[in-house]
Amino acid sequence: MIHSYLYLSIILFCLGIVGVISRRNVFTVFMSIELMLNAANLAFVAFARVHESMDGHVLAMMVMAVAAAEAALALAVVILLHKHKSKLDTNVFSLLKG
Amino acid sequence: MTNDLMLLMPLIIVGAGAILLMLSSAYQKLTHEMAAYGSALVFAVAFLVQLSACITGNAVLFSGAFNGLLVASSFSKAAGLIILACGFFTAMSSHTYFKQNDFCSPEYYSLMVFAASGMLLLTMAQELITVFIALEIMSLAIYILVGYDRKNVISTEAVLKYLMLGAFAGAFLTMGAAFVYGATGSTKFVKIAQYVAAHGFMQTPALIGGSFFILVAFLFKAAAFPFHAWVVDVYDGASVPVTGYMATGLKTAIFAVFANFLVLDASLQSGWITYLFYIAVFTMFVGNLIAIGQQSLKRMLAASGIVHTGYLLIALVAVSTKDFTGSVIAYYLAAYAASTLGIFCALSYLGGAGEKRSTFDDFKGLAKSRPYSAAAVSVFLLSMAGIPPTAGFMGKFYIITSAIEAGQVTLAVLGIVSSIISMWYYLRLIINMYFCEAEEQFGEAVPSNLAPICTFVLVVCVFAISLYPVVI
Repeated sequence: MIHSYLYLSIILFCLGIVGVISRRNVFTVFMSIELMLNAANLAFVAFARVHESMDGHVLAMMVMAVAAAEAALALAVVILLHKHKSKLDTNVFSLLKG
Repeated sequence: MTNDLMLLMPLIIVGAGAILLMLSSAYQKLTHEMAAYGSALVFAVAFLVQLSACITGNAVLFSGAFNGLLVASSFSKAAGLIILACGFFTAMSSHTYFKQNDFCSPEYYSLMVFAASGMLLLTMAQELITVFIALEIMSLAIYILVGYDRKNVISTEAVLKYLMLGAFAGAFLTMGAAFVYGATGSTKFVKIAQYVAAHGFMQTPALIGGSFFILVAFLFKAAAFPFHAWVVDVYDGASVPVTGYMATGLKTAIFAVFANFLVLDASLQSGWITYLFYIAVFTMFVGNLIAIGQQSLKRMLAASGIVHTGYLLIALVAVSTKDFTGSVIAYYLAAYAASTLGIFCALSYLGGAGEKRSTFDDFKGLAKSRPYSAAAVSVFLLSMAGIPPTAGFMGKFYIITSAIEAGQVTLAVLGIVSSIISMWYYLRLIINMYFCEAEEQFGEAVPSNLAPICTFVLVVCVFAISLYPVVI
C-alpha cells in the first residue's frame, strides 16, 4: 500500500523537475515547483501512516504554509515581470549572462 | 528556564524588532533614515545580548516546550554574532547607499531584520522542518531585497532567477526531509543520529536518498560547484548593500546548518566525504576561473564568494564528528565576513549615484583622490587573498592545518594553489587603484559619514580578528 503512495510521490516530484527544466513560461515553472512541494507532502503523510505517528501530518501542514507564502511572492514577481516586458517567457530575460 | 530565555533572546529581539519596524513603516512620518537607525539599534542590542549569552555553555532550548528543536552551542552562538554584526554594518552602509540611490522605503530595513531572524533560527535549528522554515523565512526576505529596485529590469531578472532556483532547492530540501522521516521516523537530528548509530547509514536507501537531496539544497544555497551559476547574476542584479549581506550573513547561516547536519553522525559524514572532496576542489577552481574573466567588480566579488565557499567546504570535509566545535568554520566565516562586508561598505559610498562605477577600470587612480578609502579596500582585498597579518590569512591557515590533521593533504595543497591563483584578480584592483592614472576625480562629496566610518571599523576588525588567536 505504502509503495503505491511513494511511487506517486516520486512521479509527481520528477514531473515537477521536468517542468522546471523544460518549460519556458514563468507560471508553469512556479506551478511545477508547487507540484514538487506537494509530492514531498504526500510522502510525509504516507510515511506518517507507516510510522503511525502524527508528526508527518503536522510537517505537511508546515510545508503547505511556507509554500503559500512562496506562491504569494512568486505571483508578485510575475506581475513585476509583466510590467517590464509584457511577456512571461523566461527567454525574454537574458540580460544577465552568468 | 531563564537561561533558555536568555539564549533565545537575540532571536526574540530580532523577530520583535522586525515586526515593529514593519508595523511602523505604515506611518508616513517614519523616514527610511529613521528605519535604518532603528534596524541598526535592533542588531546592536541583539549582538550585545548574544555576546553576554556566550558565557553560558551549550544547552537544548526549552527541551520540554520545543521538544529539542533548537540547540544553542558555542558554534551557533558564534555564527549568530557574525550574522548580527553583518546586519548592523549592512544597515549602516544601506543608509549611505540610499542617499545616492532613490528606491528605498522603511520596509527595506524591516525585511533585512526578518532575514536575520531566519538566519539566527537556522544556526540553532536541530530539526529538518525547522531548517526548512528558517531557510524560507530568510530566503523570502532576501528575494524581496534582491528585487527591491522595481524600476530596474536587471534586478527584476535577478530576483526571477533567484526565486525560481531557490524555490527549486527548497523543494529538494522538503523531499529530502520526507525521505529521512520515512527512513528514521523522525526529523530531529538527535533521533536521526540514534537511528544511524543503531542501523548504519549505508543500509537504509531512503536515508541515503534523503540526505542526498538535503545536501543538494545546502550546496545550492551555499553556491557550491554544480549549483553555482546563479550567484554571479543574482549578486550583480542586487543592490550593493544587499549583495554584501547575502555574501556574508546568508553564507554564515547556511554553513552553520550544513555543519550541524553533517556532524550528526560519523558514518553519514564519511558516506559523503569523497563527494564533498571533489565538490570543494571544483568549487575553488571553477570560482577562480569565473572570477578571472570578470570586468565588473561586483561580479568578481560574487565569483570570489564561490571560491571562499570552496575553502569552507575544505573545512567541512576536515571536520571531526567527535567533539565538534566548528571553531575553524566560525573563525573563517568571521574573517571572510569582515573583509567582504568592508568592500561592500566601501562600494556603497564609492559607487556613486545609481552605481555608476562598477568595473575595475572605473576605480583607476582612486588612491590619489581617496587615499584612505583605497587603503581600506586594499586591506580587505589582501585579507581575502590571505596575506598576513590579516584575518583572511589566519582563517586559511586554520583551514589548511585542520585539513592536514584530518589526513586530507591533497585538499590542503589544492587550497593553497587556489589561493595563489586568486591573487590575480584581487591584486588587479589594487594595481588599478594605485598605479593607474585617474580617469575621473571621484569629486562628489560623500553623502553620509556612516559607511566610511563602518569601513574603517571593519579595517580594525580585520586586524583584530587576526590577532584574536594570538591574544587568547
